[in-house]
Amino acid sequence: MPITAEMRETARGKMHAESFSSRFKVFWKNVYRSLFRYGRMPRDAEGQSYAVFNNLFLHIHPVKVSKHSLKFTYTLGLGVIATILFLILTFTGIWLMFYYFPSATEAYNRMLDLRSSVDFGFVLRNVHKWAAEAMVAVVILHMARVFFTGAYKPPREFNWIVGVILLLLTLMLSFTGYLLPWDQLAFWAITVGTSIASYAPVLGEPLRKFLLGGDTVGQEALVRFYVLHVVILPGLMSIFIAIHFWRIRKDSGLSHPNENGSSARGGAT
Amino acid sequence: MRKKQNRTQQPEIDRRTFLTALGWSGVGLSGLIAALGNLLYLKPAVEYGPPTRIRGGKAKDYQEGIKEVLENERVIIVREKRGFAAISSTCTHLGCTVRASDAGFECPCHGSQFDNDGFVTGGPAPRPLDWYQVSLAPNGELEIDKSVKVPPETYFKV
Repeated sequence: MPITAEMRETARGKMHAESFSSRFKVFWKNVYRSLFRYGRMPRDAEGQSYAVFNNLFLHIHPVKVSKHSLKFTYTLGLGVIATILFLILTFTGIWLMFYYFPSATEAYNRMLDLRSSVDFGFVLRNVHKWAAEAMVAVVILHMARVFFTGAYKPPREFNWIVGVILLLLTLMLSFTGYLLPWDQLAFWAITVGTSIASYAPVLGEPLRKFLLGGDTVGQEALVRFYVLHVVILPGLMSIFIAIHFWRIRKDSGLSHPNENGSSARGGAT
Repeated sequence: MRKKQNRTQQPEIDRRTFLTALGWSGVGLSGLIAALGNLLYLKPAVEYGPPTRIRGGKAKDYQEGIKEVLENERVIIVREKRGFAAISSTCTHLGCTVRASDAGFECPCHGSQFDNDGFVTGGPAPRPLDWYQVSLAPNGELEIDKSVKVPPETYFKV
């Protein structure tokens, strides 16, 4: 049978269609493989390890966890709660920034607008406020837990220091955020708070001027506290949280009762 | 012979160590200068606060024994036989505003008490209330300069 031009055309069309779908499949497989190199749900232990290692959101988890660490009453999840509160505060804080204005004449009105006029403004503001208060409490409780379980002992001394820095940053964020509603409570709290700082020997008075940008709580103080509250302190906080988590892994996970100082040291997971 | 020995001997600091140290010193020094520059940048250079010179009304309108509280300016103008005085109403403890009381002044925050001349009679305040310089403006109004402090009991006679 002679091959006609028409037959040739159909064959070419069919081939073309086939190759498109198969090429798309290959393409999709490549994309998928570049995202999840070890499959979605590997069955074997090795594959599972690699799946965790190679996922940004999962790599924070160790591949192996001691059974003891999973017992809820050992940590009460306080570190995780503090982290989640920090995330909540970051997101609600960014959302509040769309309406808030660090101006001595506008700030208080913007706060009132958020409370009364902006849809869901009161929710965001209150979530931010309560999460902030909860974070101070939870960070202190977390510190107490670490102390009572002896988790500050070698090899975790450095992470305890990082934790102390995180506590101080939490308190500074709490203090700087307190001025922003620009009401009487905020004004006098910061007046008294910065006066307390000025009692420190030698550096006290310069520190007070540095924080307030002047002698009294005014526009300059509001801007300085705002920049500290929304950029500098959260940025430092993120860096130290990263170091804190990284150190947990490098110090072979959470403390457990059976480890002794010498065998636990240097055992990175 | 001696020269050759010297050449083969390992010097205490070799070239690599010296140059590395030099390089890091440069990095450290420029870092220090940059840090200082940043600190200077953040040091408040301009005062944006309220004016330090305020007017307190006509001097002849004040009667003897009066304590006129200028709430926003945080100054109390006192008229006594000895003359005028402008006493700061900012508590020397932690900066709250004191109010006039029967015995002098008292602070609502932490209970500091002061007598009529601003001397501490009770509570945590570490020093007397500040006294500011009082003068008379050409139009007969009192002028108080909050940037100039005078020793307590410095009265201004009209």
